[in-house]
Amino acid sequence: MDAPSHFVVLGLEPSFDIDAAALERNYLGAQQRHHPDRFAAGSVAERRAAMETSAGLNEGYRVLRDPVRRAEYLCKLGGIDLDVTGDGGAPAMSQAFLIEMIERREALAQTREHGAVALDALRERVELEREQTLDRAAAALRLGKIRDAATGLVELRYLARILDEIDGGA
Amino acid sequence: MADEDDDLFSPGALFQIEEPVRERAGTRAAGRGIGIDLGTTHSLVAIAPSGAAPRVLEIDGSALLPSVVDYRDPSRTVVGRDARAHQVEAPDRVVSSVKRFMGRAPADIDFTHPYRLDGDDVLRFDVGGRKVTPMEVSAEILAVLRARAEKELGGPVGGAVITVPAYFDDAQRQATKDAGRIAGLEVYRLLAEPTAAALAYGLDRGDRGSFAVFDLGGGTFDISVLRLHEGVFQVLATGGDSALGGDDFDRAIAAHLLGVAGIATPDARQHAEAMHAARAAKEALSDAETVGIDLARSGLRAHQLTRGVIDEIMDPIARRSLAPCRRALTDAGVDVRALDGVVLVGGSTRVPLVRRLVMQLFRREPLSGIDPDQVVAHGAAIQADVLSGSARPGVTLLDVVPLSLGLETMGGIVEKIIPRNATIPIAARQVFTNYSEQQTGMVVHVVQGEREMVADCRSLARFELEGIPRLPPSMARVEITFQLDADALLTVTARELMTGVKQTVEVKPTHGLSEDEIDALVMESLDHADTDFEARNLAEARVELGRVALAIRTALAESGELPGLLPDDERAAIVAVLAEADAALGPTGPTAAKPVNAVRERLEAASEPFARRRMESALQSGMAGRTVESIESAIDQDEALDPKRGGHSASTIEPAS
Repeated sequence: MDAPSHFVVLGLEPSFDIDAAALERNYLGAQQRHHPDRFAAGSVAERRAAMETSAGLNEGYRVLRDPVRRAEYLCKLGGIDLDVTGDGGAPAMSQAFLIEMIERREALAQTREHGAVALDALRERVELEREQTLDRAAAALRLGKIRDAATGLVELRYLARILDEIDGGA
Repeated sequence: MADEDDDLFSPGALFQIEEPVRERAGTRAAGRGIGIDLGTTHSLVAIAPSGAAPRVLEIDGSALLPSVVDYRDPSRTVVGRDARAHQVEAPDRVVSSVKRFMGRAPADIDFTHPYRLDGDDVLRFDVGGRKVTPMEVSAEILAVLRARAEKELGGPVGGAVITVPAYFDDAQRQATKDAGRIAGLEVYRLLAEPTAAALAYGLDRGDRGSFAVFDLGGGTFDISVLRLHEGVFQVLATGGDSALGGDDFDRAIAAHLLGVAGIATPDARQHAEAMHAARAAKEALSDAETVGIDLARSGLRAHQLTRGVIDEIMDPIARRSLAPCRRALTDAGVDVRALDGVVLVGGSTRVPLVRRLVMQLFRREPLSGIDPDQVVAHGAAIQADVLSGSARPGVTLLDVVPLSLGLETMGGIVEKIIPRNATIPIAARQVFTNYSEQQTGMVVHVVQGEREMVADCRSLARFELEGIPRLPPSMARVEITFQLDADALLTVTARELMTGVKQTVEVKPTHGLSEDEIDALVMESLDHADTDFEARNLAEARVELGRVALAIRTALAESGELPGLLPDDERAAIVAVLAEADAALGPTGPTAAKPVNAVRERLEAASEPFARRRMESALQSGMAGRTVESIESAIDQDEALDPKRGGHSASTIEPAS
């Protein structure tokens, strides 16, 4: 990575299993010291530096607080950036997986016709699947298997899209 | 676009975009900060100097200055109650509720109003020959408030905290800040109204907790969920409706009264009279059960209006506030039962019907110890006192951006760059590539809003990047960084990754004024003769330069203990500019502010990398108890920083760049 990682900035060891209380404490403490309001009477350079430091803390906190974003970020630190295609980017998914996803999204339209109860049941199933997939990715990260974790996280993105469609298309 | 290839790689030739005007450094004036609630119907100014309890300054015997400006006399404007008194006779030349027009284009105005609007992008009121922008109208109000505060403080104001609805977008905030500048105020901070209200209640003095602030003013409705934890006040979520307020109650009641009077198409005066009666009736019926109405111009005599009738009229309007409340609670991830308190803000929360709805939704009696009309100004005054540099202990206020920021992509679809409710300040980057070798420019269109199509969002700015090197498709890469500051105001930086040429784009909202226009207005608005103005500017410039030079000398002395923070050549460059500063401050120095400011800017530019490294090393050592060696290695990392080469989608940036 180019710059100090979010983990360094927020005083944590890089790991999926972070101490949430320490993250909270370090983030709030650092914001108190570096927020631009502390430099309201400072020079332009000081204020800009404070703004950038504070922005970095906000971004780090946003990423590390959320388990999915944290897992994706760990993959990025490990050399796989899910927001990029090609080398060093998101792993290509198997044909079978992609076809399954297309079929599931088509099936969603039919479920919708069966009414809200059927839709709720589907949502619960997908949410459970999502939790299990995240658990798998986290386990892979603990073993240092970045590629396996990344594959799981891409699956997670597809599942998230299905959930969005369940809630959005109603 | 430069045609000669030679120009492409020379710094400055890449983007034909002006350098942004550098903001003046903040000035320390402990105890001279003022808090301003610039409201739709009323505005207030309050002070809380050097730790004192906040107090609203009365104008013409009232804490509330009607936000009304009378332009009937071309040679002078009148603000406040006297202006409001003439609204009925000259509804198009006496401007009220100007807040609803701030940061808006004529095409955005979808509500009824009595004004003649002019202009395509920048909205102007035609007030009888003269054409004034909403910023100028607001500046007239701010100038009255400033003058009142100056009288109280016995001297100039150091700076102001001006409150804005949490829901205000970038254009509306920028317009508010510009209005402050036109009125000759240094705006320390734009503070979200609910955050100000929470500060006023001293909720920051408790240990911790979650609070909802329900703010129904004259023209806007805001709901915010805040959390206090470890000395930091965090806005967790915010929502609202920027076109819902007590004025809507008044309009609906007025329409009812005109209906009773049998007037189908009222003229402007009948309308104004009915509005006046409606407002009075609404206020009276907050205590009384029934009130008598007379509309002389419409022939309605001794009509009895009851609370039951107006409640029925107001109920559907008031209920529009409930959905945003539920959404804010959901966004904040706070269950209604987990809240520690609900604060009421805005005169419209005096309406019993509104209180009833709030109680039903939040399942508790709201806090109401401070006058709901004054609570925001109290909070603004407290924060202004903190920011003025007085010793008052303050909390850190973390605000959020109320609406997502995005870019237009192919097909008019919005790609979100910064999500709604992200804590500010925040930055995000996006890399653009060329689609053909012939492409030497690209249009960047920044929008704000939650909808998927550009047409449904608010256009903030559109600018063109030019001078992209002719390279095969996808080889030219332009990285654009969006930075939202603590006021939620946007700056855009573009960097061509091949050449590393960096330019800051000044993103002025499409419907705003240019820097030059604002500067011209600032000059116009000054009462002082030009020479007085120049003398004051020079004095300020000298004080500023002296302060910056001193700060840098102190930092240079301290840097001896942290080798590696400052390379020798950089130190030499800073020392050289320091010598220039000494000369500028000496007896033979310049007699105008501009050259003095130029020296200060050079000094700040020369020391900026140093300041940044000091900040970073402080952060690193503060966080992890790091040693000097690791600070040095962190600096090495920083210097080796390579422009990030992201994909085509938005990715957020790393802390130090």
